[in-house]
Amino acid sequence: MPVNDATGTVPVAPPPVEVARAGRRLLRWLEFPVALAVVVGLWQAVSAIVGNNTMVPSPLRVARAWVDLAQGDLREDILASLLHLGLGYVLGVGLGLALAVASVRFAVVESIVDPLVELLRPISAIAWIPLAILMFGVSGKVPVFLIFYAALFPIFVNTVAGMKQVDPQLVRAARMLGASPRMILTHVVMPFALPFVLAGARLSLGVAWMAMVAAELTGADAGLGWRLFWYQEFFAMDKVMAVILTIGVLGYVFDTLLRKLQARITRWSPDSAVDETR
Amino acid sequence: MSAQRAWVPLGFFTVGLIAWQAAVVYSGQRGLYPYPTGVIDAAMRTVADGSLLAATASSLQRVLVGFAIGALCGVPLGVLMGFVRPVGRALGPIVDSLRSIAPIAWIPMALLWLGIRGNAALFIVTYAAFFPFVVNAGQAARLVDRNLVNAARALGASRALILRSVVLPGALPAILTGARISMAFAWGSIIAAELAMGIKVTAGGSGAVGLGQLMVSTLYVRRDVNGLVLYMIVIGIISLLIDLAMRRLQRTLTPWRQA
Repeated sequence: MPVNDATGTVPVAPPPVEVARAGRRLLRWLEFPVALAVVVGLWQAVSAIVGNNTMVPSPLRVARAWVDLAQGDLREDILASLLHLGLGYVLGVGLGLALAVASVRFAVVESIVDPLVELLRPISAIAWIPLAILMFGVSGKVPVFLIFYAALFPIFVNTVAGMKQVDPQLVRAARMLGASPRMILTHVVMPFALPFVLAGARLSLGVAWMAMVAAELTGADAGLGWRLFWYQEFFAMDKVMAVILTIGVLGYVFDTLLRKLQARITRWSPDSAVDETR
Repeated sequence: MSAQRAWVPLGFFTVGLIAWQAAVVYSGQRGLYPYPTGVIDAAMRTVADGSLLAATASSLQRVLVGFAIGALCGVPLGVLMGFVRPVGRALGPIVDSLRSIAPIAWIPMALLWLGIRGNAALFIVTYAAFFPFVVNAGQAARLVDRNLVNAARALGASRALILRSVVLPGALPAILTGARISMAFAWGSIIAAELAMGIKVTAGGSGAVGLGQLMVSTLYVRRDVNGLVLYMIVIGIISLLIDLAMRRLQRTLTPWRQA
């Protein structure tokens, strides 16, 4: 350590630990921009090597296409997709919740709904596309139906699981204190099941998003998925890429929002989703 | 479930099936709506002429190849991201945002890059299978108990031995969970990709025709509603079988971990 000859004191400098910590924070803050830059750089390089803006449109062209679209078609497509998603999701989650509550409450309902769900659940929403096209024609009803179907099962399965895991001691205690069955449902069972319900709602949204894109690609006349093939018809691949990226970003934003909401509403509970992959 | 309880759903479903059949037959619109015996007829016909089996086999083959590629690329990347924290933090948001893109959205690009002969579908399946592996392998690598690793090292275990007998068993359950998710996701995506290809590529599908393409031609060319329902049932059965097989694999490879 250098000592100042005149005064015999050590020159004042921030303690090394602090410097290291600040440096690490800076590095951590830089990690993502650097990674992003590397990926975009790689993309640019590939695009330059291929040298064909239809095969691999360069990042700059895609950005320009996106700005171009943002002032016109894109808003319309996002609105159409959100309309499909909103309608189908509300219907699916609503019916899923209602069926779950009914089948936990009434054994007869469970004895019918449960095998029905187990029969239908393995048939993915995607498999319904041709039949949906036949039933509804190529229209907005196809994605709404598919989103509804896809959203139905995760919320149902998770809600039933949550409601069945309620501590029977709590239920008995409430009953002993004179609570009616309805009160037990709304004041004991439902709060307990809430984390499961929210986890189910998030899973439902994830599969619904995928079903939406697939349905719009194949059987709709509006929406982000439909636009993909629309632009492909003109070989406007920069626009196709812009739409693909928009789908990714929107999906990410929705999932993050729901995750934040879930963490906020059920602060006391860790993520408690039933493993549900379809 | 008591014996008496079992009669309720059984009766319900029997009555439902009979009512369904009767309604379609007596409405005289057999060409327009599917009905149970028609589905059975369709099953007999497509099994006899071999088209169902061939399509199922070629779809399954693509899923397996995509799954293998996804595992070979995804597991190492995930382990790298889990062990080397800066890499994980840097690539995490990028992996997350690519993961949010529905695999099927890549189909126009895939068709452009790989052509219409089936490799585009393979690309979609690989994309779908890749990310569950990355995420779960990353989590596995992060969660491997450092104390166990240190203990093994203190006892003089070599790096290879630690990897083989501490890290791998510790990470295996999560990786297998990733495999199960990835397989299910891949099976959903192959149907979507084949449907989109079937709709896009009219009559030129000279490559191996999968279940999705078969569904499109059943819908638009033959207008056979019963066939559509049959293929849906086949898709459901296969995804059940896939899930069953993956769970059994999990039990066999990680017997110490219950369910």
